[in-house]
Amino acid sequence: MTNLRGLGELSRAYLLQARRSKTAIFWALGFPQVWLFAFAFIFGPLTPGGVSYLMPGLFALTTMAGAFFGVSYLMVNERENEVLRRYRLTPVSPVTVVLANGVRSMVTVTASLLLQWLLAWLFFGITINGSILSIIVVLLIGALAFVSLGLILGCIAKDMRTAPALANLIFFPMMFLSGAAIPFFLLPAWIQAIARMLPATYLIEALQGVMVRGESLVEVAGPIMVLLVTAIVAAAFNSLVFRWESSEPINYKKLVVAVGGLLVLYLAAALLAPAMRMGASPAQEPTPVPVERAVTAPIDDSIGVS
Amino acid sequence: MIIETKSLRKVYGSTVALNEVDLRFEAGGIIGLLGPNGAGKTTLVEILEGLRTPSSGEVSVLGLDPAQQGRALKERIGAQLQSTTIPIDLTPYEVLRLYASFYERSLPVERVLQIVNLEAKANSLTKTLSGGQKQRLAIGMALIHEPELLIFDEPTSGLDPAARRQLHEIVLDLKSQGRTILLTTHYIEEAEKLCDRVVLIRSGEVVADGSPFELVGRAGGRSTIWIDVEGEMDPTPLLVGGAEEQGRQGNHYKFTTADPAATIVALGQVLHTQGVSLTDLRMRRPTLEDVYLELMGDPEEADEGVPA
Repeated sequence: MTNLRGLGELSRAYLLQARRSKTAIFWALGFPQVWLFAFAFIFGPLTPGGVSYLMPGLFALTTMAGAFFGVSYLMVNERENEVLRRYRLTPVSPVTVVLANGVRSMVTVTASLLLQWLLAWLFFGITINGSILSIIVVLLIGALAFVSLGLILGCIAKDMRTAPALANLIFFPMMFLSGAAIPFFLLPAWIQAIARMLPATYLIEALQGVMVRGESLVEVAGPIMVLLVTAIVAAAFNSLVFRWESSEPINYKKLVVAVGGLLVLYLAAALLAPAMRMGASPAQEPTPVPVERAVTAPIDDSIGVS
Repeated sequence: MIIETKSLRKVYGSTVALNEVDLRFEAGGIIGLLGPNGAGKTTLVEILEGLRTPSSGEVSVLGLDPAQQGRALKERIGAQLQSTTIPIDLTPYEVLRLYASFYERSLPVERVLQIVNLEAKANSLTKTLSGGQKQRLAIGMALIHEPELLIFDEPTSGLDPAARRQLHEIVLDLKSQGRTILLTTHYIEEAEKLCDRVVLIRSGEVVADGSPFELVGRAGGRSTIWIDVEGEMDPTPLLVGGAEEQGRQGNHYKFTTADPAATIVALGQVLHTQGVSLTDLRMRRPTLEDVYLELMGDPEEADEGVPA
């Protein structure tokens, strides 16, 4: 199915291209930092824990933007420029092309997350309640899940005109409903119900666990499982919807299978979410925060605030 | 048989791009598909490459069906597409290295750069290459895995004469290395210069097929002979031999003939018996262009309808 040397070389070529394109660097690395400073200056003073408590939401936004705008645009662009059409004449498989796009995107998304973290630490002196290793694991799993979803978008978007429309259609609801921009527990119950069906909600939940509440990976195993399953299932669905050429018709039956499959996945996750302690407001928190942890996170009320 | 098609047909909506095309090509040499834009050349080569599927009919390339056995075929054919698609923000060296990685076996990148004469530009970004250099890189991308069959779709289209000549030299070099090359072109001189076999295509149908020499002969084209003489010449014996007088200005004569050898022999006798001396003689054989114009008719008309 995939040739490892081809995958390595194609990933390398993509990364060289990413490094040499000024616009790619600006959008992938620079733009998410605009949110960091905007959120820090607008919401920072309003949030009891300051910028530290905004980081899970910001990391989720950066991951989502990298996946839905960066990943999908590059794929649609290569298809529209007929670079993929030329690859089609070689033995390279769709799996290799999709995986190489995934590798490139994982690197750029991870780089922008680490840069954001570094800037937040340098400018706003954020404090972390938890293990740095756990946070990195959650960030990587989150990136994996969203890059897989972004690749699906790259496969199904018809051209460079429809790709931004589709990306916005997915990005903005997720941004406002998942708790990335507004704390989850402030959302009305019916929106919370919808939010439980969005992958971003699980990323934020896991990040709040390991960054704010100082939990271990085991304690956020629920949302991590949802993200991991998302990554695997979405990656598999890519092979259903991959297209070499813009003129190739989209196979709507397969598209329905892919999108329907993901919806079923999130419906199941939403039904299980209460068992995962998902998005609980501080008052409903089933396991009270231990006293010793309250010392490092002085304002208990802010738990769940992003 | 390196390529074989039987009753190949391709229809786009109500437009017939290829109509009952039967072709049989042996391995070796350069085969040219010659025809105006929109004649169906690109559709035909893209079916051979497996990029398009025929509406009906049979196709076999290297004994394989491109639609069914594409994976095996891709290792054995190399192609350059009409719209050159070279990844941006990479150098020719990096592009060739990437393409080499897609195949089970491949030539060293340095060797390919040498074949397509891009060594000096090996480490410049592809966006800085000229049209001819980009086209040569596209040729390099096609031959990196030493394919048995090379398919070039209008490789010289849009190039200046110098770049075109350079590309011709590369193509002839590849031929001398024993490769089979199928190329499409709408330049008659190019087909005549490069191809061992030319297939003329018009509106999706093959109208002639053979070596440029055969095509010219088969079309019954007439050679033109111009002579200048000193003295009074009676051309009647030449006309009896089948030549036609096309005009005379003083001692300058112009004849056309289907059999130039016979006319020249007859001319020798006329000069000898009439005691006339020959001061100049020029002859022009019919060219592929004459055949092309005769078979294709009005080029404007042939351009219509069928997408490229």
